[in-house]
Amino acid sequence: MTNFNWLLDGSIVGLYLLVTMVAGLMVRKYVGKVEQFLVAGREMDVYLGIASLAATEFGIVTCMYTAQNGYEKGFAGATPGILMAFAMAGVGLTGFVIKPLRDSGVMTIPELLEQRFGQRIRWSAGVVIVLGGLLNMGVFLRTGGQFLVLVAGLDVRYLEIMMTVLLVGVAVYTILGGMLSVLVTDFLQFVVMSLGLILVTVLILMNVGWEKLVTTVETNYGAGSFNPFVNPTMGWQYVLFNLMLNTAAVLTWQTIIARVLAAKDTGTGRKVYTRTSFFFVCRFLIPGIWGIAALATLGPVANTLEAMPRYLSTAVPAGLMGILIAAMLAADMSTDSSYMLTWCSVIYNDIMAPFRKKPWSEKRGLFWNRTIIALIGIFLLLYGLWYPLKGDLWTYLGVTGTIYLASISVLLIACCYWRRANSWGAGASILVSAVIPVAYLVMEQLPSTAALAKSIGPYYSGIATYLLSGAAMVVGSLLKSQVRSREEAA
Amino acid sequence: MSHWFWLALTIICVVWYSTITVYVAIKGAADIKNMLARLDATNKREAAEKS
Repeated sequence: MTNFNWLLDGSIVGLYLLVTMVAGLMVRKYVGKVEQFLVAGREMDVYLGIASLAATEFGIVTCMYTAQNGYEKGFAGATPGILMAFAMAGVGLTGFVIKPLRDSGVMTIPELLEQRFGQRIRWSAGVVIVLGGLLNMGVFLRTGGQFLVLVAGLDVRYLEIMMTVLLVGVAVYTILGGMLSVLVTDFLQFVVMSLGLILVTVLILMNVGWEKLVTTVETNYGAGSFNPFVNPTMGWQYVLFNLMLNTAAVLTWQTIIARVLAAKDTGTGRKVYTRTSFFFVCRFLIPGIWGIAALATLGPVANTLEAMPRYLSTAVPAGLMGILIAAMLAADMSTDSSYMLTWCSVIYNDIMAPFRKKPWSEKRGLFWNRTIIALIGIFLLLYGLWYPLKGDLWTYLGVTGTIYLASISVLLIACCYWRRANSWGAGASILVSAVIPVAYLVMEQLPSTAALAKSIGPYYSGIATYLLSGAAMVVGSLLKSQVRSREEAA
Repeated sequence: MSHWFWLALTIICVVWYSTITVYVAIKGAADIKNMLARLDATNKREAAEKS
């Protein structure tokens, strides 16, 4: 049983979808060049950047996992958000990596890497980014669909059809308007999403009450629900791993970096980072409170991922339910459109670069970009929605994310700040950051090594990936310098 | 002690997020208007240069 009212809430959701689609399609007339399609002609200003970055980085999948963190770990579950906020504010204030990146005038990270490491590394980095990104994104649709089905009380048989229609809608305006449509719809989606998040949080705080939230987590998890360092499922290794993961994401996650690259200048990009940084605390704490409220109201449940939407389905009244669903649709649509465009930009700009011996015309470039987005949409449907994923989702997200983030962050930092970095170091770094997470996964599955993998744990494995990826860059680069020196001497 | 930290952080989140939503809604709309005007001017200038 849910409070979703088809007439009232359905009208709110329908109106939101209509306005978004119209706005997304209206700006397509401004797109005449590839640069306008991929980075909005580099005309994005600060506040549009804040809205776009916040909307892109908050999808239903984010809401589900952060709420699950709140349900399982209490307030301490918001720790990754605080770490990410510090990382983003630090990078914005200092301009670390993002300043040289934006100053270079590139459209993607691999394009900058080519300037230091050569064409092969650009291509390899492009493949790593797209594989990691697409595999990561592959689970967004189904998780988003699960939330909507549970909250609105829809028949689960319609999940695939509903999400397919939604994806097709998003794909249409992204294909036609590129980054311009993404920015304009992100702006609308940020407003709707924020309205829903704030109203539901205020409702929960009023109905459940702060004291009950605190008592619930204290009773269930003790002091660890407030302090990650004393939480038995977290500890210093969890904090350190999340600090590394979130710093790497701030520096290299292409959907975040795309806002810096679309900014009208470097200063604007840095301001977008600094002023959006605190949003990442809200991104974890607000759904975390929803998860704690679910624990306080429902008690222990078998599937902790579904606890929050099940709780909201009865706690949110009609009218506000429409705003909540529109907010979550907004969150998901803005994430989907940005992600499709971002991975398209890397495929076109970097992976297809060797096939463009001569510069392509703008018309041909636009045609290929639009085709790639359509193909990404088809991939998402086949892989993420119609093919049910087996196994643990969190491990899956962690592995696909780390393969990308560890290597690309090391490559980017070395490219910007270490003169002796070269292609051997870059290649070794990519290899190491792919081998360790995959080896850990394999060890987890094999009966003979499962106990060893469990004793190491995902956080130590993750920390090792970042450290060894950096070490591989240093060793590989120094080795190449030494070999070259010997060759020259001979 | 840690309860107060999380209470303060929750209050700051709700207040900051509400404020920034209104502020960004107003300023962001102006950003979109200016961005589209600049793009329109660029497209018209380039079209004139071609012809």
